[in-house]
Amino acid sequence: MSTEEQLVDYREQTPEVKRYFEDLRSREVVLKVEKLGKIFGEGVGATEALQDVSFDVHHREFVSIVGPSGCGKSTLIRILAGLETSTSGSAMLDSEEIRGPGSGRGMVFQSYTLFPWRTVAGNVTFGPEMMGKSSDDVEKEADKWLGMVGLSDFKNHYPHQLSGGMKQRVGIARALANRPRILLMDEPFGALDAQTRALMQAYLLQIWRHVDVTILFITHDLDEAIYLSDRILVLEANPGRVEEFVEIPLERPRKPDQFLDPRFLAVRHRLDVLIHGEFPEEAEELSFIGGVDRFGEVDAD
Amino acid sequence: MDWFAIGRELSPKARGIITFCSFLLPLAVWSAFSYLPFLWHPLMEVTESGDSRYFRPGMTVEREAFHQENARLSSKGSVPVKGIPVNPVYLPAPHEVGKAFYTAFVTEPRLPGDPWLHESLWHSIQVIFWGFLLSSIIGVPLGILCGAYSPIARLFEPFIDFVRYMPAPAFGALAVAIVGIYDGPKIAIIFIGTFFQQVLVVSNTTRGLDRALVEAAQTLGAGKLQLLTRVALPGILPDLYRDLRILLGWAWTYLIVAELVGAKTGITAFIHQQSKYKVYENVYAAIIMIGLIGLFVDIMLGVLGSRLFPWEKDSKPGIFTFISKALGFGKEASTT
Repeated sequence: MSTEEQLVDYREQTPEVKRYFEDLRSREVVLKVEKLGKIFGEGVGATEALQDVSFDVHHREFVSIVGPSGCGKSTLIRILAGLETSTSGSAMLDSEEIRGPGSGRGMVFQSYTLFPWRTVAGNVTFGPEMMGKSSDDVEKEADKWLGMVGLSDFKNHYPHQLSGGMKQRVGIARALANRPRILLMDEPFGALDAQTRALMQAYLLQIWRHVDVTILFITHDLDEAIYLSDRILVLEANPGRVEEFVEIPLERPRKPDQFLDPRFLAVRHRLDVLIHGEFPEEAEELSFIGGVDRFGEVDAD
Repeated sequence: MDWFAIGRELSPKARGIITFCSFLLPLAVWSAFSYLPFLWHPLMEVTESGDSRYFRPGMTVEREAFHQENARLSSKGSVPVKGIPVNPVYLPAPHEVGKAFYTAFVTEPRLPGDPWLHESLWHSIQVIFWGFLLSSIIGVPLGILCGAYSPIARLFEPFIDFVRYMPAPAFGALAVAIVGIYDGPKIAIIFIGTFFQQVLVVSNTTRGLDRALVEAAQTLGAGKLQLLTRVALPGILPDLYRDLRILLGWAWTYLIVAELVGAKTGITAFIHQQSKYKVYENVYAAIIMIGLIGLFVDIMLGVLGSRLFPWEKDSKPGIFTFISKALGFGKEASTT
């Protein structure tokens, strides 16, 4: 393909980016996933959702997981959150085996899942309250987190009074208030419109820069994944397996004009090929021959 | 504006007018049959007996018999009977029933020792209250546990489902034998009628809790007990409250049967007694009173509910919210 010739090699890294990754690899491993497998059901009806998935995530790294539908990316993140159990292999947070949910891993869901009976502040304090912290400390903490996501004025609102973007900011603040080691985000911006989405991406990058937290981020939006991540874990489907772990050769801090960077486009093309294959399915020519009186060429005259 | 667009909500004013009409219309029909003498009125009340030997003033006779008598009298050249068309005694006019609302309360019972109307009503309310309270004390927690934990549901629900099909009044004789003839069996019947439904309804409501909320709480470090008390319970509370309001309505329908068991008591005893005396305006007044008490309690619970659960999005305004708003209890529309 001619585009491939024009594109730079997505593996080529500037010295700055190279140094960034060397530094990143030297940091401790927060999350270690080894030969993780998940089979749903038993016997003939059993389906293998994940097979031998192995990868490491380093401290304060931003890793995205992409892949075609059915690649088990949601299953993977749910196993890491402890909401699902694996059938083989292991996942370790700070070299401690993950068994069931725990406050060390915060989760942000696509459907917000805010507690409707709690105010915005009440949602943020939920985690610390469960830990048995005193309510004074908890409230002061909540104020800080809400200030950070810009929702101080809405602390006494109920979730149903907020827009989607605001809800998800509360969701993020709620997860962070628990001071998790890793933030698991399952298509957090999937339900938002394009503009809000771009805004939320910018917010998330800022938060990640200023808060000591590692992020594992699921998305089906490849541009979003490239823009946000250090590395992208590409899964293939049926069964879900690691296809490639792509390093993003873009400097930080990220800016929206990097969407047009040739290296961005090179990575984008690589991901497209990995996910949709070398020859992705194209729309077939529909047949408009005869019969219906409304058929007519738009450029006939 | 198109009033008959499917699924279209009306303006508050139009809604108010139509709600008013829904009460006005039956009243208008009732008034028409009562006050327009050419509508129905199958009987004649004799005002002057004329030369008739049988008819006396104040007597009510079939219209046909009245005309036959007059035909007979006029053929003999005697003075005819005079009368006015009236409805049967079991259809009193609206104003008579309206008056009964007052007179029924101030009329002394015919037999010394019989309860006054307000005493009967109060008695009924107490029976309902205790029956419903006892049922809820056991039924609500059990329902929540059934909805939250499958093993508990498996253990209780099949049997409860089975008992549910046994009509509560069928236990009447048994209840009298076990808890005596006073209020015990009446409370027992309301309990039986409410409890088994209650467990199933509450358990269903609990099961309807968004699982994602439970998962979110788990990832925030909530333990098993916290999931029940800090997530499931507050999560279902508004629905639970709604369930109880509906179940309380059912309890009222069991009241009438319950009060017939053993010694007749309460409002049912009053209704039976008054119909025996043929004071039908009192019967109507009592029946309407039950309706009004039910409506009043429901409106109060509705108003209380909107205060208790400010996080609930406003549900479709029904007649109750309309009336409560009209009475000035309406909660301010939430900001969106």
